[in-house]
Amino acid sequence: MKIRFKLNGREIEAEVEPNTLLLNLLREHLHLTGAKYGCGIGECGACTVLLDGEPILSCLTLAVEVDGREVTTIEGLARDGELHPLQRAFLEEGAVQCGFCTPGMILTAKALLDENPNPSEDEIREYLKGNLCRCTGYVNIVKAVKRAAEEMRG
Amino acid sequence: MSLWINRIDTHILPINFQYHAPETLEEALKLLAEYGDEAKILSGGTDLLVKMKQRLIEPRHIISLRNLTELRGISEVEGGIHIGAATKLREIERSQIIAERLPLLHEAVKAIGSIQIRNMGTIGGNLCNASPAADSAVALMTLGAELHAQSIEGERIIPIEDFFKGPGVTALKPVELLTAIRIPPPPENYGWAFMKIGRTSLDIATVNAAVLLTLRGGRIDLCRIALGAVAPTPVRAVRAEEHLRGREPTPELIQEASELVVEDISPITDVRGTAEYRVEASKALVRDALKLSIERAGGGGR
Amino acid sequence: MRQSFRFIGRSTPRMDGVAKVTGREIYASDIYLPDMLYARVLKSPYPHARVKHIDVSGAERLGAVVVTYRDVPDVVYCPRLVSTPEATYKDWRVLTGKPLYVGDPIAAVAAESEELAQRALEAIEVEFEVLEPSFDPLESMRPGKPLLHERIRYMGEEVEVENNIACTMEIEQGDVERGFEEADVVLEREYRTNRRYHCQLEPKTAVVRPEPGGGVTIWTTTQSIHNTRLLIHEIFGIPVGKINVVKTALGGSFGSSIQTNIVVPIAVALALKARKPVRLAYTREEDLHEHCAYQMIFRLKLGARRDGRLTAGSLEAILDIGAHQIQAYPLLGCLVGWWVSLYKLPNLRYVGKAVYTNKVPSCAMRGYGNPQITWAVESLMDELAEELGLDPLEFKLLNHVGLGDLFWGQGPTVKSIIKSSGVEELVRRGAKLIGWDKRPKPGAQRGRYRRGIGFGRGFHTSSAGAPVPGTVVDYTGAMLKVNEDGTLDYITAMMDCGGGTLTAHAKIIAEEIGVPLECVNIVRADTQTTLYDVCTHASRGVYAGGAAALQVAREVKRKLLELAARVLDAYPHALKIRPDEKRGQGVIYVEGVEGREITIGELASMARHKNWGTIAAVASVRQGSCPPHFTAYFVEVEVDTETGKVRPVRVVAGADVGRVINPKLAEGQIHGGFAMGWSMALLEDTPYDPRSGDLLNKGFITDYKIPTAGDLPSLEDFQVFFVETEEPTGPFGAKGLGEGALNPVAGAIANAIYNAIGVRFYELPITPDKILKALKGGERR
Ligand SMILES: Cc1cc2nc3c(=O)[nH]c(=O)nc-3n(C[C@H](O)[C@H](O)[C@H](O)COP(=O)(O)OP(=O)(O)OC[C@H]3O[C@@H](n4cnc5c(N)ncnc54)[C@H](O)[C@@H]3O)c2cc1C
Ligand code: FES
Ligand code: FES
Repeated sequence: MKIRFKLNGREIEAEVEPNTLLLNLLREHLHLTGAKYGCGIGECGACTVLLDGEPILSCLTLAVEVDGREVTTIEGLARDGELHPLQRAFLEEGAVQCGFCTPGMILTAKALLDENPNPSEDEIREYLKGNLCRCTGYVNIVKAVKRAAEEMRG
Repeated sequence: MSLWINRIDTHILPINFQYHAPETLEEALKLLAEYGDEAKILSGGTDLLVKMKQRLIEPRHIISLRNLTELRGISEVEGGIHIGAATKLREIERSQIIAERLPLLHEAVKAIGSIQIRNMGTIGGNLCNASPAADSAVALMTLGAELHAQSIEGERIIPIEDFFKGPGVTALKPVELLTAIRIPPPPENYGWAFMKIGRTSLDIATVNAAVLLTLRGGRIDLCRIALGAVAPTPVRAVRAEEHLRGREPTPELIQEASELVVEDISPITDVRGTAEYRVEASKALVRDALKLSIERAGGGGR
Repeated sequence: MRQSFRFIGRSTPRMDGVAKVTGREIYASDIYLPDMLYARVLKSPYPHARVKHIDVSGAERLGAVVVTYRDVPDVVYCPRLVSTPEATYKDWRVLTGKPLYVGDPIAAVAAESEELAQRALEAIEVEFEVLEPSFDPLESMRPGKPLLHERIRYMGEEVEVENNIACTMEIEQGDVERGFEEADVVLEREYRTNRRYHCQLEPKTAVVRPEPGGGVTIWTTTQSIHNTRLLIHEIFGIPVGKINVVKTALGGSFGSSIQTNIVVPIAVALALKARKPVRLAYTREEDLHEHCAYQMIFRLKLGARRDGRLTAGSLEAILDIGAHQIQAYPLLGCLVGWWVSLYKLPNLRYVGKAVYTNKVPSCAMRGYGNPQITWAVESLMDELAEELGLDPLEFKLLNHVGLGDLFWGQGPTVKSIIKSSGVEELVRRGAKLIGWDKRPKPGAQRGRYRRGIGFGRGFHTSSAGAPVPGTVVDYTGAMLKVNEDGTLDYITAMMDCGGGTLTAHAKIIAEEIGVPLECVNIVRADTQTTLYDVCTHASRGVYAGGAAALQVAREVKRKLLELAARVLDAYPHALKIRPDEKRGQGVIYVEGVEGREITIGELASMARHKNWGTIAAVASVRQGSCPPHFTAYFVEVEVDTETGKVRPVRVVAGADVGRVINPKLAEGQIHGGFAMGWSMALLEDTPYDPRSGDLLNKGFITDYKIPTAGDLPSLEDFQVFFVETEEPTGPFGAKGLGEGALNPVAGAIANAIYNAIGVRFYELPITPDKILKALKGGERR
């Protein structure tokens, strides 16, 4: 089946099977390996991408279902080589250890800040609870999101 | 012996099916009529795809609801509040109407999964999946929701009480589609509560509970209590409700009512909790939910 | 007194950070090669069986390449190459005809797509003879029980296994009976730990490309590229030089890839047969059937006099190792080491037994048995203090193994003297911050929500270094060369598991030489271009690996100064190097003589033009000790006595890691350690279904919960502090941290729960269910 969708700002076309998962389309066919497989069943959030700006799980999404829509992966976040404030904050706050959860975590956090520029700590924690991290205990991640929010509010 | 160990590959969807994305409801119903048992509805896919990956079901046809905008949306109608079956959980959570008119449903929906799950999952999926632990189900049971089902034969309305038949089994026929949920206007000045216990903050309920009640002259008048994950389907705690009705909500009464909950539940032991624990947790949740509901209904009850 | 540093002690972003936040970092599971086949593994559905017949023709008809246990080299091996042969038992094969647990690999297929591979897998037909399984070590040990392994290999010989006991260790010092007689109070308890799963976010993966000439290139989730290489050589006989294992980023590990994961030899076998690249990525469910932590049963007995002095201790430990040995014997040694290095025991007896069961093989998991035994010891010390009427803090401080004491480090073969310790200050400062004096009396509260404060302390070794060779391999190689523009290439085989190890090395190099941090380029390396490094484990990354980095930095600096002395017409010892951020490199100058200077880039270029050669250094460094880094946790919890749920209220965590190299990343280790300890205490376990013999959760993490961001204390309720000491043997005085960050957490939480509700638990995890049962059963004091 042929699908067309916007990927990181660019209109693209792809040939997929009905049972092709968005995650595998991105990673194997489009060579965007930022979204990770961590469980395949919706529990870990490592495969998170933005669909029309909202975080969704690409491991539970049929590729055909994104036809006509807009997908943003972590590779599409930095603009013209300029890191997104969240990416910078993750670096500066030590919110990255092994980094396997990081792409999904940053995309979820981006959706949060897009809809709520000034989230409380509880709101951040609640919003990020679908992104598991085994390394950081989330402390520096929460700090990074707060810092990015401040910076983005100016 | 493990029957699944070599059949599961969660990297992929190791099942071949035909994919349909009908443009109209009518078209969808026709497809359902044609394929019946061999077809599965794909709404948000957060249950369906997991079950397919776990090889619990292997449908030959997938009928996606993605183009059926008529199955989406929240509106106030004559008979109460109308929610399209394919409305995303996140949309319900964000809806002003729901937050104001049905805060109980708002809370229950907010308790489901993560942001990602709620961006994908739908209310219809939560109900049709018929998990005994479905969070929206207990809320909708106390709200007396009516479920609108449609097939090419026509529409029928199923009271939510009659909808759940067992784990994963509903009253829907294979050719039927759930199109909408209609919630009658709740009574004036009602009190409500939704509570959930899971192992972590991202978990399917070990036990969940919803309460809706009203007070009249300092006594409990209308009273509905529903519990999830403690029986093959979400259940009403009828005995406890009866015990409360017409009485003054004292701490002793609440205690007695919570003890009566055991009469209506039949929990099992599984990885998420033991049957004994579910009994104790049910009582605690019902006590808490009753207290909060009474407070919200304007009662003093601590 | 404090030296001032430019980079050490300052928070700097990790050097692989940009790649990680932009999704450009490449993990083993991100490797896809042209013309690559996808592999799937046929796993045993029975916990104990023998394959009677296997028919792979169905799979082959689908076009798949198949290997079974009959096609792989007949080599019995141990997947972990950290110990010397004297401490290594071998009982593994690449694929097996006698599966020993549900999930044990029997055969594997490779095909053009994963879907096809999966279909091929399902087309394999196997007939089994089902054997009696055993899921409990005590049962396994009973005479007459079927043996998992009849014979295993040790030092090139076959040895018989009796009663499923994989290995044992016994140690006695002093006179234990007398010691207990001298005690005024003796307590003896049995503790049972959970069987945890690492739940590192990246499941195990291997991608193998056969090379012309019979070699292979391997990308895999590993903590040691060189040990992976040596093991593949041992199994397949490929010359070492033709095996190249490439470093990739690692999506967490926590000890689960100290050994070479089973995916590697299976993928090698398939790739050799297919003559094509093969990718074998485990699913999460398979990963849960690949490794887990050691589950342990302890019978622990301690005696003390009224004055608070411990007189004797005895420990019987039974380790449920699952179906294979990965490092059971070394663990028996470390376990006693961890135990006796917490508190001084004038008389002691230890009996350790590692026992086979038909379960997933166990391996090290952050702390290598230390979190388990520390939980038991910290619990029993708390209980003992109460019996003696002493403050647990004072009781523990009085008996603790500290400065100048003998430390057993990595077990009885590795003893050294402690040269730096901040224990006392950790305890005193932590106590003040949490308000230890105001903690409630245990069991005195009556309301629904009860709060309690608990204390636990611990340590872990930094590396497995020692003054004598011992039975553990522990050294690291490093290379450093100066490029013509003044940047430096740092080449090491050491892996960064996420702790920021290599960033710390870069800081050590930048500090020592005097160049801007950005000048240090951490080279993407592989086994063919690096010196041997044993493994990133045992919290050795900074202490031992960093020592190698320091040594090459020193050597390069010496050479730089020598050459600069010629050019600047000055004496080498009168020259200094300063990092010049503007010029983006180091500048060598003569102190006090203005204008007499040269940048490292200019010098390196000159060295090229004048044919002086490359300025570089190579070193292979072994540390002569393994100093403990110390931690102390004070945790306040709230127990809901109606639901049994426990909530973290406040955490104060202190650490003595020697000199802190990178505060933010070091704090991150504590945060992560607490999260892991929290769920070790309350949440995690992998129980088995005795009917199917499989994991009760079937491998789905839906039912293996780890904490989310919503389950842990808020920022202001989590306080971390460091007590800086200077470890004389460490690079810039640094020690390790990764494991000490976890070890005492479960003990502190268990003590906090006791303080809140007056009930002690002797089995982990402490679930809401157990709490309610205990509260119902009358409050035991
Ligand atoms: C990680 C994770 C966490 C979760 N947490 C929770 C939780 O906390 N609480 C909770 O209650 N659930 C939870 N769920 C389950 C799930 O997300 C919800 O049940 C969700 O609402 C399902 O909606 P869906 O649209 O994704 O359903 P789908 O998967 O699309 O469908 C579910 C089932 O219903 C059928 N169906 C769907 N729509 C219709 C229709 N209109 N007519 C007829 N049949 C239909 C489908 O054929 C399928 O059998 C979780 C799931 C995951 C993966
Ligand atoms: S891989 Fe999609 S949620 Fe884990
Ligand atoms: S940084 Fe490793 S899982 Fe989050």
